[in-house]
Amino acid sequence: MKRIFLSLWSGLIGLLLVTLVQSSGIPVSDASTVLPAAIDPALLHTLQVRYKTLTKQLTQLMPTRPYILVDTARNHLYIKRGDQVMMDALASTGSGTILDKPGDSKGQWIFDTPRGEFTVQSRLTNPVWVKPDWAFIEEGLEVPKSQADRLEPGVLGEYALGFGKGYFIHGTLYPRLLGKNVTHGCIRLNDDDLKSLYRLAKVGTPIIIF
Amino acid sequence: MNFLRAILSILLSLASVSWAAEQDVIPALETTNPAALKEATRVLEEEIKLAARPQTYVLIDLEAKAILIKSRGVELHHLPIESWSASHLSQLATAYRLRERPPVSRRKIDPVDGAEQTPISLADMPTMFTLQFTPPLTIHVLSNADGNPWQWATQRGRAWWHRLKSWGFTLWTGGKPPSSPSLHLIVSLYHAQSLAWTVTEGMPFLVRRATTP
Repeated sequence: MKRIFLSLWSGLIGLLLVTLVQSSGIPVSDASTVLPAAIDPALLHTLQVRYKTLTKQLTQLMPTRPYILVDTARNHLYIKRGDQVMMDALASTGSGTILDKPGDSKGQWIFDTPRGEFTVQSRLTNPVWVKPDWAFIEEGLEVPKSQADRLEPGVLGEYALGFGKGYFIHGTLYPRLLGKNVTHGCIRLNDDDLKSLYRLAKVGTPIIIF
Repeated sequence: MNFLRAILSILLSLASVSWAAEQDVIPALETTNPAALKEATRVLEEEIKLAARPQTYVLIDLEAKAILIKSRGVELHHLPIESWSASHLSQLATAYRLRERPPVSRRKIDPVDGAEQTPISLADMPTMFTLQFTPPLTIHVLSNADGNPWQWATQRGRAWWHRLKSWGFTLWTGGKPPSSPSLHLIVSLYHAQSLAWTVTEGMPFLVRRATTP
């Protein structure tokens, strides 16, 4: 009787200890006790190998060189290499306003900064702005016939990086507006940040805009 | 013997470091849980296809409770999810394309008036909206209505209206209600507006389902 009582008592203490170890999160040394019985170790291994292979494939798609990242919601431009931020600059991006095209009932310009992935296509020093039609129409002026009347030097800063369809990263005459959505789609930076960006970015440097 | 043991332990620690570095691709992953691994590999297979192209995409990670704006496999922005609920999630098996972005009220420039127009900003973006996708998937984004009873009432009203429409459809057709997956996400007001700003027409979305209860 005493023996039965003792074995019951020791069994109860053992059960209590096992419960305590499991609930405390202390790792159990034997791997087979960690895995529930239903898990097939061969299947688990296959899945782990597959996961690792896919992870490697995705990692290989990540940019290895520095890239430019533009956050249009918060108006910031970053230069990043992997997870490392090499530069964080206050910027100005597209205002999102619209302007009707005269003589075209359905046509309009939408002043958004384009989103997606682009590359630096050109690097210019002392760029001259060739004013597009909307720049005249917006001011209530007539669109000039001569190309020479469209040229405006000195308004884009010392450098400009073109990323296609007439969009540039350039300087500004209005640094107080940095951090706001005020542009016609281009990305503006202050002089110092623009200089750093010009030095770091090459033709082909990826630009990701979101 | 000790020398061999030391080399083995160094090799093992290096292997675990590389494993840890790669694990970050799918956050909060239980690598001993086959269901979690299956879901992670499904998402990775889809993500590799998206990351191979020059585009921005969204990964809604229900396991890690986060909305990730990504490109080329890189996380560009992280929006935390406060809570979520879903129906027919078991049907999710592919990437979804956003049909149209939430409506934005844009200001028009009037050259005659000459007055400067206020540009749009995050504050102009909606705080609750519905995203429709191809193939069919509906995502309802609601913002946390803490301290704003009107917003709370409007959000609940919308949720009930969607349910009522579904019941009405069932009664009217006498068949089963539409069985396409739908997702309700509750995020902070700021993050709801951030998401509304970021998404664009045709943007691909992926959903990683939660495998833990």
